[in-house]
Amino acid sequence: MEKNGVKSWNFKGHEDLITASQFSIKGVVNKLKQNLNPSDDQSRPVISLGHGDPSFFSCFPHSAQDAVLHSLRSAQFNGFPQNSGVLQARRSVAEYLSRDLPNNLSSNDVYLTAGAKQAIEVVLAVLARPGANILLPRPRYPMYEAHATFSHLEVRHFDILPEKGWEIDLNGLEALADDNTVAMVLVNPGNPCGNVFTYDHLQQVAETAKKLGILVIADEVYGHLAFGVNPFVQMGVFGSIVPVLTLGSLSKRWMVPGWRLGWIALSDPSGILEKYGIVECIKSYLSITSYPATFIQGAVPEILEKTTEDFYSKTIHLLREAADVCYDKLEQIPCISCPHKPEGSLFVMVKLDLSLLEDINDDMEFCIELAKEESVIIVPGFTVGLRNWLRITFAAERLSLEDGLARIKAFHFRHAKKQIL
Amino acid sequence: MQKEMENGKVKKSGINGGENGKEEEVETPTNITIKGILALLMATIDSSSSSIDNKKRTISLGMGDPTAYTCFHTTAVAEDAVVDTLRSQKFNGYSPTVGLPQTRKAIAEYLSRNLPYKLSPDDVYVTAGCTQAIEVSLSILARPGANILVPRPGFPIYELCAAFRNLEVRHVDLIPEKGWEVDLNLVDALVDHNTVAMVIINPGNPCGNVYSYQHLKKIAETAKRHKILVIADEVYGHLAFGRNPFVPMGIFGSIAPVLTLGSLSKRWIVPGWRLGWFVTTDPNSTFKTPKVVERIKKYFDICGGPATFIQAAVPRILEQCEEVFFKRTISILKQTSDTCCDRIKEIPSMTCPHKPQGSMALMVKLNCSELKDISDDIDFCFKLAKEESVILLPGLTVGLKNWVRITFAVEPSSLDEALERVKSFCHRHSSIQQKS
Repeated sequence: MEKNGVKSWNFKGHEDLITASQFSIKGVVNKLKQNLNPSDDQSRPVISLGHGDPSFFSCFPHSAQDAVLHSLRSAQFNGFPQNSGVLQARRSVAEYLSRDLPNNLSSNDVYLTAGAKQAIEVVLAVLARPGANILLPRPRYPMYEAHATFSHLEVRHFDILPEKGWEIDLNGLEALADDNTVAMVLVNPGNPCGNVFTYDHLQQVAETAKKLGILVIADEVYGHLAFGVNPFVQMGVFGSIVPVLTLGSLSKRWMVPGWRLGWIALSDPSGILEKYGIVECIKSYLSITSYPATFIQGAVPEILEKTTEDFYSKTIHLLREAADVCYDKLEQIPCISCPHKPEGSLFVMVKLDLSLLEDINDDMEFCIELAKEESVIIVPGFTVGLRNWLRITFAAERLSLEDGLARIKAFHFRHAKKQIL
Repeated sequence: MQKEMENGKVKKSGINGGENGKEEEVETPTNITIKGILALLMATIDSSSSSIDNKKRTISLGMGDPTAYTCFHTTAVAEDAVVDTLRSQKFNGYSPTVGLPQTRKAIAEYLSRNLPYKLSPDDVYVTAGCTQAIEVSLSILARPGANILVPRPGFPIYELCAAFRNLEVRHVDLIPEKGWEVDLNLVDALVDHNTVAMVIINPGNPCGNVYSYQHLKKIAETAKRHKILVIADEVYGHLAFGRNPFVPMGIFGSIAPVLTLGSLSKRWIVPGWRLGWFVTTDPNSTFKTPKVVERIKKYFDICGGPATFIQAAVPRILEQCEEVFFKRTISILKQTSDTCCDRIKEIPSMTCPHKPQGSMALMVKLNCSELKDISDDIDFCFKLAKEESVILLPGLTVGLKNWVRITFAVEPSSLDEALERVKSFCHRHSSIQQKS
């Protein structure tokens, strides 16, 4: 390309990527961190209640670590794995998931990915075709929007309703679907809302999806992290009603997000996904993309088989306690209301009442000023699709959590509109 | 006889005739992967009718993964480094999406040792193996109508990934008689205003070439002339055992911007660890403008990356660069590549035009006219697998029909045995009267 007779370089960056990545929570959190006051008056530590990283929890699965050490030292897993993953690993994920399913999964139903993040990438890429659209929940986990945009899949949002314990508005969802709708996504236990869907509700979702001729992508990355009234039910249970692609990983339940070990599991006893070419596509995509470290895959059987019930119950106990503390403290902050006590995952969504605050106009401003004045990081709701709400993580050290919430309370009172007496 | 391949849906017909007794053209498939073909060849061995007693052990010279052989074992330092970072429990959480800062710094320093300028840690992005580095490069350059130049023969992931990102691929031939150098005249002919980059693989896969300083400089000057950047796939970096030393393309980064791709996989023999890098070796910031850097970072935000504790081990692995280990690997590779070439000389229907100088593979030309009832490279490889339980990669997979790629990163005695079987196979199928 010539410009004033001087040829300029032919390359430039890919435009879609900017659009895709504006959805990242990490991006917003980084912006908030830039607002932290380096010379905080009281030299207080920064408290981040913005992330979804449980790895600092003191209760840590040493057996998982040992499994990886064995696998590494064995020197059996330094090479390339087969495309879909090390066979023993796939088999053990299949067995693990089958424990709570009416039909047993086989190793052929399981594909290993570098974390559930890559599972999202694969599934959306595979479903994309010109003109297709996908139904995503709002509030949302923005990685779906990012990958949908990048794969040129149109996104349509259905609501999940705070007044109904964050259940899906099924009428709304039905109204959105058309012949070009390929799938719907649900996140259970929910991020960002901390809800856990009931068996009945999931069954209704399955029946609705079947009626619409779409598959269900069940993001169960927080699987089993349910500590409230509703037990965790795998969407795969309804695999004979509607084909289900379940996404999961070791990251949350075993607190090792840095290990990058996730999976896509097909719950589809009727073989519809195979018939419609989805299985072939998943395999093809995996053959051109990267995968989790082989020796970590090699450790999966030991991890899944040997982690004790004791470890699982300890985790749930810690989360329940933290959620309780969080909920109680939030109740004491007038400008914040929590429509539904969290019963799963690591998060809670709370509503901001801006009318009670002086000179704070929206959720992002709230979070920026909070970072500046109190060195606390929480996620503004617009990032997850609900303007003027906030997403708060309760998966933090007890003292940090209490301190953080106390600082938010102080922030409220500093900014509260003066009462006219 | 027909063979339908899973991924490629390529119909091949034997000399006995395909459908309707006609010879069918074999398309150059864009969706055949190396692993896919190798799996099919393996399946042929497994389903072959020889009894257990007669069944020979399978020897695969098909893939660049030497970890199956005990003579190729990573260093104790590498293994210990990872054990320590895992045990520390400090690295179970998420890393920044561009990679841990200490990892980026260590890779920058490691690469800078062989460059005339210093790389900054910000130039380095940590990826899940070189495969992901390839994905990143192509993804950030893709735009409607753009095209990239890739070598032929080459590494099929480039074609597959480009197809996926709607990047048109144009093939530049490598010239066997000239040590597999890039045909730069062809580059001139293929480039247009939509060309964004050219890919070079050095040391070369599948050809085993190691380009000279002069040739690399010419490549840089060609790229500059056409205003395109160079993607330098240096996954086999430093695995050079011939006359030419390994010269990193980044040296010419001030002539034309270079994106350097690499990983721990080959030099440290740990392809399963998935630890690679994508580096902007672009000292004049021709490519890495703030806007582009922003885009690269944002792309990493939506990607999965390598395990954090493996990243954390990298500084130690790179700093305690063990010369003894490296020399040993090189020495084994030199030995096995020599063996390979010597044996091939004994096989009339095979020729190796250029002795490998590096990496782990070489390309061998098949003379099918000297083989009765073998129609092409695919036929050759499938029959060889079935009759001799030896796996070679058909050249079609890497862009050269009627050639085969042979990996020599194999334990010497296995290599000997495998080549002995190949020789006997060729002898058996020879259409020339052999002297006994």
